[in-house]
Amino acid sequence: MFGERVGAVWPGRARGGAALQAIGRLAAGLGTAVLAGGALVLVLVTAAACLAGVGLFLVPAALRAVRVVADRERTRLSRYGQEILDPEPVPASARAALRDPAVRRELAWLPCHAILGLLLGLLALTLPLSSVHDVSFPLWWKLVPVSAGNSSLGFGPVHNWPGAFAICLAGVATIGVAVVLLPAAARLQAWPGRRLLPPGHETDLALRIAELTATRAAALDAHTAELRRIERSLHDGTQNRMVAVNVLVGAARRALARDPAEAEEILSRAQAAAEYALAELRGVVRSILPPVLTERSLPDALTGLAAACPVDCRINADLTERCAVSVEATVYYAVAEALTNIAKHSGASHATVRLRRQQDRLCAEITDDGGGGADSRGGSGLSGIRRRVEAHDGTFELSSPAGGPTVLSVSVPCGS
Amino acid sequence: MRIVIAEDEPLLREGLALLLRAESLDVVATTSNAEDFLEAVDKHDPDVAIVDVRMPPTNTDDGIRAAVEARRRHPALAVLVLSAYVEQAFATDLFAHGGSRLGYLLKERVGRVEEFLDALHRVADGGTAVDPEVVAQLLVRTRPDKRLDRLTARERDVLALMAEGLGNTAISERLVVTEGAVHKHIRSIFAKLDLAPDDRADRRVTAVLHYLNDLSRRGT
Repeated sequence: MFGERVGAVWPGRARGGAALQAIGRLAAGLGTAVLAGGALVLVLVTAAACLAGVGLFLVPAALRAVRVVADRERTRLSRYGQEILDPEPVPASARAALRDPAVRRELAWLPCHAILGLLLGLLALTLPLSSVHDVSFPLWWKLVPVSAGNSSLGFGPVHNWPGAFAICLAGVATIGVAVVLLPAAARLQAWPGRRLLPPGHETDLALRIAELTATRAAALDAHTAELRRIERSLHDGTQNRMVAVNVLVGAARRALARDPAEAEEILSRAQAAAEYALAELRGVVRSILPPVLTERSLPDALTGLAAACPVDCRINADLTERCAVSVEATVYYAVAEALTNIAKHSGASHATVRLRRQQDRLCAEITDDGGGGADSRGGSGLSGIRRRVEAHDGTFELSSPAGGPTVLSVSVPCGS
Repeated sequence: MRIVIAEDEPLLREGLALLLRAESLDVVATTSNAEDFLEAVDKHDPDVAIVDVRMPPTNTDDGIRAAVEARRRHPALAVLVLSAYVEQAFATDLFAHGGSRLGYLLKERVGRVEEFLDALHRVADGGTAVDPEVVAQLLVRTRPDKRLDRLTARERDVLALMAEGLGNTAISERLVVTEGAVHKHIRSIFAKLDLAPDDRADRRVTAVLHYLNDLSRRGT
């Protein structure tokens, strides 16, 4: 709801956001394009060596290098749109590898991306830099020698104020061009990869099955881990407290004969222990499946979480239909864990949770303005959430550069 | 009687200490993990240690391992292990080298204070205490055995109490029969199960437990 409304009222701001996003994509694409350039050189050298009759043994290594670069591009493209599955490993023998359709398509993709990706990536860096240069020109043109006072487009040199402002206007125009051009450039940069890198139809299904088998195993693992967690909290918490209650009641009965006052004191302890046990049991029950999730809705449940979070937290939910309970519970716990992390480690003062449905996926995005540096590897609660999400065939992405902001995106197929 | 307690749950630890002190027993130290427990045993040299099975650092069977280690260092130490649930493997580990001065009870038995104190004293005096639940599990699992079927209902009762570690007097009190009758039952049981008769309670327990354990392993 939030994003759409903003877009309707200030279309310019939404466009600016899209352009900024495009710069990020183009820059990431520039990275893989440079790698592709390196791999291209390797392939050409290998080809030349083969023509000279000495390079055959280099072929598998070169193809594997191409695969590594192509896999990076697949990961990059999967991040921004439909997921691209990794193909089967490159066959070990040079002959079989060169017959492999996935390898052939990668070899076709390599020069396209190395050249097109590089040029578009450079464009993405140059346009913003030159517009900043030009727009700010009136602020500093007097400070530099006349020969350096050029506009980034090559006019000049400039000697007077009107000229400086003209350059500033040219900078504004560059921004306009960038806003229109960059999103298209990002799409164009992704195009060779989108066309050539997905596995062919013949292998697609087999890979999908392999992936489903893996995620199914992960689902069972996550299920076991969840059972262990419940067993732990029941055993270490509730059961032990009930034993304590029992011991204290036993002690009180023994004390009754000796000294009723002592018995009274022990009984009051026993009652306190019983209350403690009940509170803990309530917590365990909640952690299995929060009742509000089944009785009300996911946005209501998240609003409850936000209210309990010590950091100021806004929920922007745009959901009209419900998803499978297990899917909603997964997203609920992802948000719960993210908010716990934010409260404990981030030092943030604001957090936002965006919840929406994109086609058949339930997506949540949790953003905070804290110090960043969150890590989903290691033993943190986030790694548990990652497993749980992936077990539902979902995606989990954490972006948390040092200095922030931290953005956690979770998306799970609705299963309905 | 000087006692060291090892239990990580604070409520239960303090509850146990309170209960024992109210019975004029000397609780010299309470600890919450395996390492501190072994240190306390070395330092205070108690008569009895009461140990929880699941404790830090690993929260698995640290208590059992600590109990076995404490016994290795202090062979005269009596150890009573408390567990939230019955696990055959724990009992097997614990009684691997005989059952003298050893006990293995469910935590909830502590609430029946008299029976708990009885078991505690029995262990401290060189005897054995095995939770009825452990014995019941062994008996259930050994159902297919023909030789156990030869026992009369009363003899099975006596066998179960014997396996818990009770002496002849205690058994006669529980079953409300004379000691002479108990003695007769026991002789009959040993004969039917082809075990060498032994009057010493602790050796008798391990003999019976080993017997049942072997059967359950073969039976299942």
